[in-house]
Parts: sequence; structure tokens; C-alpha cells
Amino acid sequence: MASLSEEVLLVVKKVRQRKQDGTLYLMAERIAWGPEGKDRFTVSHLYADIRCQKISPDGKAKVQLQLVLHSGESTTFHFANESTALKDREAAKELLQQLLPKFKKKANKELEEKNRMLQEDPVLFQLYKDLVVSQVISAEEFWANRLGGVTNTDPAQYKYKQEVGISGAFLADIRPQTDGCNGLRYNLTADIIESIFRTYPAVKQKYNENVPHNLTEKEFWTRFFQSHYFHRDRINTGTQDIFSECAKQDEKGLKSMVVQGVKNPLVDLLSLEDKTLDEGYGVCGAQPSTSNSNRTVKESSNYAIIKRFNHHSAMVLAAGSRKGETPTDQASETSSTDGNSRDSDFFQPPVKKVKLQEEYEDLQQENRPKTVPLNLKKSDRYAHGPVPLQSQQYTTSQDIINSVNYIQHEMANYKPNLTQVLSSTVATSAISALSPGGVLMQAGAQQAINQMVPSEVQGELKHLYVAAGELLRHFWSCFPVNTPFLEEKVIKMKSNLERFQLTKLRPFQEKIQRQYLSTNLTGHLEEMLQTAYNKFHIWQTRRMMRKT
Amino acid sequence: MKLNIEGLLVYFPYDYIYPEQYSYMLELKRTLDAKGHGVLEMPSGTGKTISLLSLIVAYQRAFPLEVTKLIYCSRTVPEIEKVVEELRKLMEFYSKQTRESNNFLALALSSRRNLCIHPEVSSLRFGKEVDGKCHSLTASYIRAQHHSNPSFPVCQFYEEFDAVGRQVPLPAGIYNLDDLKDFGRRKGWCPYYLARYSILHANIVVYSYHYLLDPKIADLVSKELAKKSVVVFDEAHNIDNVCIDSMSVNITRRTLDHCQNNVDTLHNTIHKIKETDAAKLKEEYRRLVEGLKEANVARETDVYLSNPVLPDEILQEAVPGTIRTAEHFVGFLRRFLEYLKSRLRVQHVIQESAPQFLKDIYDKVCIDRKPLRFCAERLQSLLRTLEITDIADFSAATLISNFATLVSTYSQGFTIIIEPFEDRTPTIANPVLHFSCMDPSIAIKPVFQRFQSVIITSGTLSPLDIYPRILDFHPVTMASFTMTLARTCLCPLIVGRGNDQVALSSKFETREDFAVIRNYGNLLMEMSAIVPDGIVAFFTSYVYMENIVASWYEQGILENIQRNKLIFIETQDAAETSMALEKYQEACENGRGAILLSVARGKVSEGIDFVHHFGRAVIMFGVPYVYTQSRILKARLEYLRDQFQIRENDFLTFDAMRHAAQCVGRAIRGKTDYGLMIFADKRYARADKRGKLPRWIQEHITDGSLNLTVDEAVQLSKHFLRQMAQPFRQEDQLGLSLLTLEQLESEEMLQKIAQVAHQT
Repeated sequence: MASLSEEVLLVVKKVRQRKQDGTLYLMAERIAWGPEGKDRFTVSHLYADIRCQKISPDGKAKVQLQLVLHSGESTTFHFANESTALKDREAAKELLQQLLPKFKKKANKELEEKNRMLQEDPVLFQLYKDLVVSQVISAEEFWANRLGGVTNTDPAQYKYKQEVGISGAFLADIRPQTDGCNGLRYNLTADIIESIFRTYPAVKQKYNENVPHNLTEKEFWTRFFQSHYFHRDRINTGTQDIFSECAKQDEKGLKSMVVQGVKNPLVDLLSLEDKTLDEGYGVCGAQPSTSNSNRTVKESSNYAIIKRFNHHSAMVLAAGSRKGETPTDQASETSSTDGNSRDSDFFQPPVKKVKLQEEYEDLQQENRPKTVPLNLKKSDRYAHGPVPLQSQQYTTSQDIINSVNYIQHEMANYKPNLTQVLSSTVATSAISALSPGGVLMQAGAQQAINQMVPSEVQGELKHLYVAAGELLRHFWSCFPVNTPFLEEKVIKMKSNLERFQLTKLRPFQEKIQRQYLSTNLTGHLEEMLQTAYNKFHIWQTRRMMRKT
Repeated sequence: MKLNIEGLLVYFPYDYIYPEQYSYMLELKRTLDAKGHGVLEMPSGTGKTISLLSLIVAYQRAFPLEVTKLIYCSRTVPEIEKVVEELRKLMEFYSKQTRESNNFLALALSSRRNLCIHPEVSSLRFGKEVDGKCHSLTASYIRAQHHSNPSFPVCQFYEEFDAVGRQVPLPAGIYNLDDLKDFGRRKGWCPYYLARYSILHANIVVYSYHYLLDPKIADLVSKELAKKSVVVFDEAHNIDNVCIDSMSVNITRRTLDHCQNNVDTLHNTIHKIKETDAAKLKEEYRRLVEGLKEANVARETDVYLSNPVLPDEILQEAVPGTIRTAEHFVGFLRRFLEYLKSRLRVQHVIQESAPQFLKDIYDKVCIDRKPLRFCAERLQSLLRTLEITDIADFSAATLISNFATLVSTYSQGFTIIIEPFEDRTPTIANPVLHFSCMDPSIAIKPVFQRFQSVIITSGTLSPLDIYPRILDFHPVTMASFTMTLARTCLCPLIVGRGNDQVALSSKFETREDFAVIRNYGNLLMEMSAIVPDGIVAFFTSYVYMENIVASWYEQGILENIQRNKLIFIETQDAAETSMALEKYQEACENGRGAILLSVARGKVSEGIDFVHHFGRAVIMFGVPYVYTQSRILKARLEYLRDQFQIRENDFLTFDAMRHAAQCVGRAIRGKTDYGLMIFADKRYARADKRGKLPRWIQEHITDGSLNLTVDEAVQLSKHFLRQMAQPFRQEDQLGLSLLTLEQLESEEMLQKIAQVAHQT
């Protein structure tokens, strides 16, 4: 058994899967299950493939654990050992809880990266559709080349990946559900817990202090949801609630933020007014006094909500912009409990002076040299314009003016050389030969492809070119063939090319034939493929010769 | 570029100009020519400041004897600094074009808090503390004591300035607050006093309204400013309230207690001095008999800006005998104080006029009108004589004496309201005496009288004709300029209904209606999903906002909004709000996007701009009517009706709409900016409301966007935002909303501009 070399972290016996008794193994990189008495695993999932785990509610008769994979499939394990079922399940769950996030990140990162590349690059996406979805090559083959390229060419981008911030509504995502009997159930995921910890370091500190010595994890979160801390409209009543201290700490953080004041003088409301009225002057309007003494309960609870929303948003913002801290970096996180990110160099209020300059960019002459805007009447003609002309040397306007002058000069001084004129018939035939459709103008017909062929066919042709190019790139990259791996690959690529010709190119050719378009549209494609085949044959015969 | 404004050569420090700037300068020139006052409205972000500065500076150079000084009043410190920076740009342009250094002196003046360089004093955080500390180091008798005893602390910066600072005038140049401080540090002079001294001969002074409108400060600072000055009130849409605030007084029980302490201190000090230095008091007595003759001479020769707290009658008479000696005056104050205390013991609300009050006080404690009128002046004199170090401590006594003077001077334009408790908490006794000014023209009158041209300008002054009425002056020009736009970069939408057809409104009857609150929540939620970066939402009042936020929280709407954007909320605590604001901007900056819930008439709606991505949409929940149940407001409305024939409703709507316009105008700060303006109340669709919005907003409200549902508004917004997100270049504007000199000078364009301007 190959897996014996792996490190087995946990073995749980008497676990049923599909009504079959067996043993569950949690290993370093995967989870596996084998039926009793057999020497192989019938179920084996890499942790990276697992999206999440679910457990059956506590009251249920069956103690189950379900794994949901990224592919959408799921596997359910039933812990059948009567006496220790619950304990077994908990153990498995705990371990998985620790293991999954590690792998998840890796898997997610890769998936995300792939997703991102596909989204950002429509050509690549099309290619992916053409080659992978239509099963010309496998996804791994497709990515093997791509991802490597990215990491090699642009490691910097990979290294300094932007850290993902926290959703502002993560607390809202914990939707309480009624369980039918006067209770509420909150669903917590690892992500949410992480968000809570990152946003409220005080809670994290409490967690570290209390779990698992004083409270179990579950108790901790139960208390958390019961506390006024979670329900922002409840006012701190000073009970023995472990979170009342958190609230106080938050309050302190908020206060210290306020006391520090703001750096940007333009938003500092305190120093905005030049001369405030002295106490006692002015029409004191209907604004109620800010002192808390004569606020009603409702009012102060409203005030508490507002304050906490401000605090929450500030904390989320700060958690998002804390630099260089991985979420597991606990020590540094708890140190910045006031949620103030002003020290980070992410947001530096612009220098006061600069801000004070009222800016009217549009009133100012722009400094860059004057350019003439390109005025396109038909932009696609600009995009697909006749190619040969582009190779010409670019002429400056001065040149043009000079040449116009020159021509004018020439024209003015033009004297026909009457001894060498053509006869009229010869001239006519020359003109007709040079007119569109004439003998000498035949070569230009090929260029007019964009007028002759409907645009969808053009598009399709373009995709074919891209796909063929990609395949050919794979093919040609195998040469010189000097390792067995490359040999294998080149043969595979050859067959891929053939498959491509058969499944993609042929139907296209038939299609254009049906539409009575000239078949030499695909001529160049065929040519390229043929060249590849030739190369392959040469290589193959040479190899055969060497072998014999 | 150099412009020709009806024969005046104006240097304009930019290569291009907006058509409306040209029209604005034309009107301004005409106002100055006529030596009259003007009311000019032009949207923010169209370069109002630079147009004003360019024209007036050009005018000053062309007619140095006609206009000697420009006094530019703005509202907030950042705005003041911005104006000076613009001015610097203009002056640099001048010296580049004319190749000679000009001898213009321009400076900003601000409170000590922003100008102090004394290491100890400037570290204090609040303006009042700084003022008090400064006074305790620079008062004349302190310095005299220092003379005899050098260990007595004084401010060396002030000493240095006093010794040499006045001999050489401040060299020509542009001095912003920081420049003044730098200069002060280099020379070792106090920048604050230097600036105060220098504004007398400066060509341009930039400072806050209060220095001209608040009689207490104006008397100190602006008294001697030349008559031939042009005064500009920028962002003046709220000027009437500033005037009223500066003249109104509130007296609580706490004030009276403080005052009682003050009077006791005075009494003791007098007692002490009498034993040691009776001559001093005698000297004061002599001075008072001489009376305020000097002041009277000054006023008659028109040297000073008159002080509304110092009525003419006082100047012609000597201080009445009853309060001339120090002891008598303290006794007098005591009596007055006791009377006020007895008035505050009422159980029901009392409203009376000033004459009624005077009659009552005469009947009850035999205090005459005449000595009351001298109260403020008499107390100042006494405080000087007694060498009171900490003036700030005597703020309560000063307040009471100011009240006494005001109440006995003005029989009209003021009202006295005594409320035994706050309306919302009838069980808690908290008596307040409001002495409130109802006539803004009282405070601003000296300004209009003294200075040759006063320009009132802002982005939102509609309807224009109401300002001359409530401020009681006769402008020679009144004009409103719109913003010429190459693309419609503002999109005002009036959302009148929810998706379920419930009428949206913040009116009193439906305030607590859950359907309305829910629909408001929906609107914000939908908008948070489609608007990029920042959204600012304004509510009509703090209480309303708190209630709505609470019920949105209960209904889970806020949570859903949080999925899209972070939420920040303005509170009544300025420091807390500043922090929220900064975080809000940070969230907009880093791309997360945020919503700021704020209050119309609050600090944010008045002083903070939300340029570009800081405010892509402004939502105005409800019509921001002022709290109409307040008695002070009722009295003011009555007064307006009787004196100025302004109907209550007209004024209330005017007031609500100017605040609404202020709020939504926060998002558009220029032609390259763009933003949605959502008016979420069906009442905005009515002609009387809509008609009071500034023209530049009004003309973009189409009939199709008058009564939208939330969904329809979302559709329109999506379309608008998508369009606006396309690149916008200078070329797109050129010739339409942006002109080169040649374009401006073409006959056709001039005609077009004249035509547009004529519509006003």
C-alpha cells in the first residue's frame, strides 16, 4: 500500500460509508476510507479538493460528517461506534478544521490565479474553451505551461499578492436561524471566525485567554452571540460578561483614535471654524445637548449603534490595510488594538499645501506636446486596414509639406515631352489593367478578406488560428527532442494536432465550402500543420533509423 | 491670459477661461464702478475665487485711489488658506507678465490658535485656552510687572514685536498662515499681532466672517479698516445666521452662577485695591467722567467701523453716576443678577419684547435703562483697571453685561424667551433665557454703511432677491450664473416613491412610518450597489438620523449595505466625526467604497467638500426644514413677516432648500467632476420647492425625473454613471465650456455669453 509511507494522523474505526463498515484515516495530505477487511481505500480525497465539512446536529441519532468537494460531490461518513461515536466525530472534525484551511488556501490560490488569468485574458479564455472544453488537450496540460510561465516571468507579482480584505458585512453573514424550539442557531465558518479575530483583536485576545482552559470553543461563541457586544443596540449593563471588557477596550480604542485627531486638516472639523462663538452666544437651536444624562434609553441605544458602526467600519478598514501580517500572525495583531491604521503607509494624507491648491486642471494649458486627436469614421477599417502600406516610413508633416511644395513646383514647371508619349490605345489598356479588376490589380484581391467574408467566419477563423498557434507552440517547444518525456509529449502533441485538424479545422472547411467562400482561407493553417507533420515524420524516421 | 473687461485690463493666471467666469467678472466690474453692493451666485467649482481676485486686483491696480483694499471673508480656515494660495498664483502670474515685482501686500488673518508660535501657548488645543493664555502673557499690566520684576513670564515674541515690529511694515508679498508663522519665527515676532497690525496697510486681507460681523471681535480687529475697501463675503449663503448668532445671547443658571462668582471676585479685588492703591480707582473714575468722548470723536470723523453693541447715545454721554464708581457698579451688577435669577425661576414659558423686559426690570428692582446701556463698556473698563489676568474667566460677566447693553439699546429686532425646561424633557428643570436676535441686518449694517462695495457671493444663493430683503440693503447688481457644461456631469433625480408606490417623504406625519423608512433603506442599498467609491447621505436632523439608523439596523438593512460599502456616521461630537470622515476618505481612496451618513445643517454639510470619488452620489433624505416648533424660530418668522413682508412658508422653504442645495452641491466641485444628486422626497417635485434650487441644478431636472421610484432612479443612475465614467478630455470642453482667449474674443461667443447672462 503506497499510502503507508504517508504520515497517518488519525485513525477512526467503525466508520460507515454507504452502509459499509470501515476505517477512516486522516493523513497528512488526504483523508481516506477503506472498507473493513480490505487492503485498499475506496474513498480518498486530497484535503485541497475539499471545500468544507458539515456535521450532523447534536441531537440527531446518527453521528455523521459530510465532506463537500470543490467539484460539488460529497461524501458522508457515519460514525457507528456507539459509545464513542460523538467523540470520534469531534476528533475528526477538529483535526479537519485545522488541516483544511492550510490546504484550502493553496488550492484556492491556484484556482483563483487560474480564474483570474482566464478572466483577464479573453484570448486565453477562448483558447481554453477551444482546447480544454472540447477536450483536445487536458486542463493540466493546458495549465502546466501557463502557470509556470507566470510564476517564472513575474515572480514579484506573485510574491506581493494583495491581501484579501474583510467583507464589511461578515457579521451579517452569520444568519441566525431558529431551530424550532425557542433557540437560535448561528453558523460560523473558519472564514468568519478569522474575520472576527482580525477585526476585533480584543475578541481574539479573549479567545486565547479563555479557550480551552475556561470555556470550550462552543461555549465561547455562544457567549459571544449572547453578549451585548454582538448586539450593538444593547447597552453595556456591566454584567460579568467576558465581553464587557472587550467593549470597554473598544471604547478606549475609539476614544484614543478620537483624541489623536486627524492628520488631514481639511477634514478636521475642530479646526475648521476660525472663531467659534463663545459660550452663551448664538442662537442655540433645537439641538439637544450631548451630555448623556438627559438622554432617554432609546436615544442612547441609538447613539450606541451609531458609535459602533463607526468603530466597526474603522476596524474593518484597519484590518484590511494592516500590512505584512498574515492572519496567523497573532502577536502583532493584538498589539494594534485601537484599529488605527494611520501608521501604515497605505494612506498618507497628501501634503497640506498640495491640497490647498484649488485645482482647475482644465483651465491650465497641458504641458505635453499638442497632439492631433485621431478622428476615425470607421474604426474597424482602421483596425483591419491594408497591411502592406503600414510598412512605409512614417513621414512628418514637414516632409509632407515639403513634398507638396515640391510637387507643386514640378507641376508648375511641367513640360510634356511630346516625343515620348504613348499612343492612346496603349494608354487605355494600361489604365484598364491598373483599374480594380484589371490584370495588374489581381494581387490586391487577397487583402480584401474582411469585405468578402462575413464577420462570424472571420471570428471563427481567428479562434482557429489562435488555437492552432497554441497547439503548434506546444509541439514546436518539444524540439529538440532529447528526453523521453519530450518524446512522449511530441507524440501526444502530434495526435493533438491531428485531432484538432479533424474536429475543428475540417468542419470549418466544410462550412465555408457550403457558403461558397474560397477554401484557401484555411490554406495557411493547413500549411502550418503540414509543416509540423513533416517535421514530425522526419524526426520519427530518424528515430526509427537510429533504433534499427 | 490678459482679458479686456469693459476696458479694464485683467490678468487671469490661466490659459483658458470658463464663459461664466467672464460674465461674473463683467458683473463684478459694474458693481465696483457703481460703488455699490452686489449679490452674485455662481456654482462652486467654476473658479469663483480666482475670478473675484483677478478682477479686484486689476481694479486696484488701475484705480489705486478708488479701491484701496480688498477684504475677503470666507468661512473656514482651509477655505481662507485656499484663497491665499490662489492669490499667490495670480501674483506670480503678474510678476511674470509684467516683469516687475509688484508691491502688493496680502495676508491671511486667523485666530491665535492658528498663528501662535509660542512653544507653550501654541501647544494648547482649544482656541479659548490659547486666547486666555496669550492674554495672561501679553496684557499691559503683566508687562509692566515684568518690567519691575524680570522673572515674571511674558511672551518674548510679543515683546520683540512691540519693540521693533511696528516700525518697519511687513515687506510686500503674499502671506498665508504658515508664511506668517515662518516670518514670525525668523524675526522673533508674534505673527498674530503682526498680522493684526499689518491688515491696516495690506492691500488684501483674507479672514473669517466673524472678524467683520461679530461686534465683539470686529471692534478689536477691523475697526480701523479703510472706508474705500471692497468687502467680499464668499460662501455667504448662511450669512444671516452668522449675523444672528453673533448678536444673540443665552443665559442659563450655570451662566448666572459663574457670573455670581465673577462679581464676588470683582468685589474682593476692589476691596483689596482700595486698601493698597486707591489712586488707581480714582483715576478710573476721572476717565469715566471724561466719558467716551474719544470714541465719539472717532466715530464722527468716520475713522472707525461702528460697533452695534456700542450705540451712538452712549458716546455722547458720560457714564451715568449710578455705576461710575467701582463699588456702585458691582452693586448694580448684583442687583441685575438677582433679577435675572428670579426671572429664571419661572414655571412656564415666557416670551416678551425688550421694552417689556425693561419695564419689568424697572418695576421690580428699579434699574433704569440708561445705566444698563453702559454696562458692557463699564465692565471692560473695570476689568482693565483691576488688572484681571484671566479674561476668559470673566466670560460669564461679560456675557451678562453685553446682554444688558443689547437689551437696553435695541427695542426692535430682538425677543426674549424664557423656557423653564427643554421641550423633550419637561420633567427636568433647565431654565434658559434666550435673548435672540431676529434681524440679521443689525449686525451687518455697519459693514454695508461703511464700505463702498460689499459683494455677497456663493454657489447657492437662490432665490437671490431674499438676501437683500433679510439683510436690508440695496444691491446694484444681482446675478446668477449657471455652469456651462460640455457634458451633463450632474444628474439630479427626485425619488418620490418606493418600489411599492409608497410616497417617500420626511414630513412629520410619516416620519415614523416603517414603510417610508424601509424604502429609504432600499434606496440607499440599491445605490450602494451601483455607485462607485463614495456616497454621502444627508438626513434632516440628528434625531431623525438616529431613529432611521436604528430601525435600519433592526430590519437588517444596514447589514446588507455593509456588503457593498463601509458605513460611517456623523455624530454630534466633532472629533468623532472628524475621525469618521477621515476613515471615510481612506475607504474611498483604497477602493473599498464607503457611505457617510450625515446631517443637513451639520458641520459636514457646511464645510467639507466631497470631490471626485469622495462623493459620486449625494442622497438627500427628506426636505431639511428647520425644527419649526422652536419658539425662537417662530418669533423670527413673525418678525420677518411683520418687518420684511416675507411669508413664513416662503422663508422656511427658502431655508430648507438652501440647505438641501448646499448638501447636494458638495459632490460637484468642478466641471471634470461628476455626481448624482438624489432628492428623496416627493415634495421636491413641487414647483415652489424646485424653483428655489439654484439655477445650475434646476436646469438639469427634467420632467421625466420628477417622481421616480427607487428602481427607476437606479436605472437612470446606472446609465448616467456609465456615461460619466468615459474619459473626458480638455478637447471635449474647448469652445463650449472652456474658452481660449481667441474664442472668448470672437463676436459670436461674446454674444452667446451675453445672452446666457441675460437670462438671469
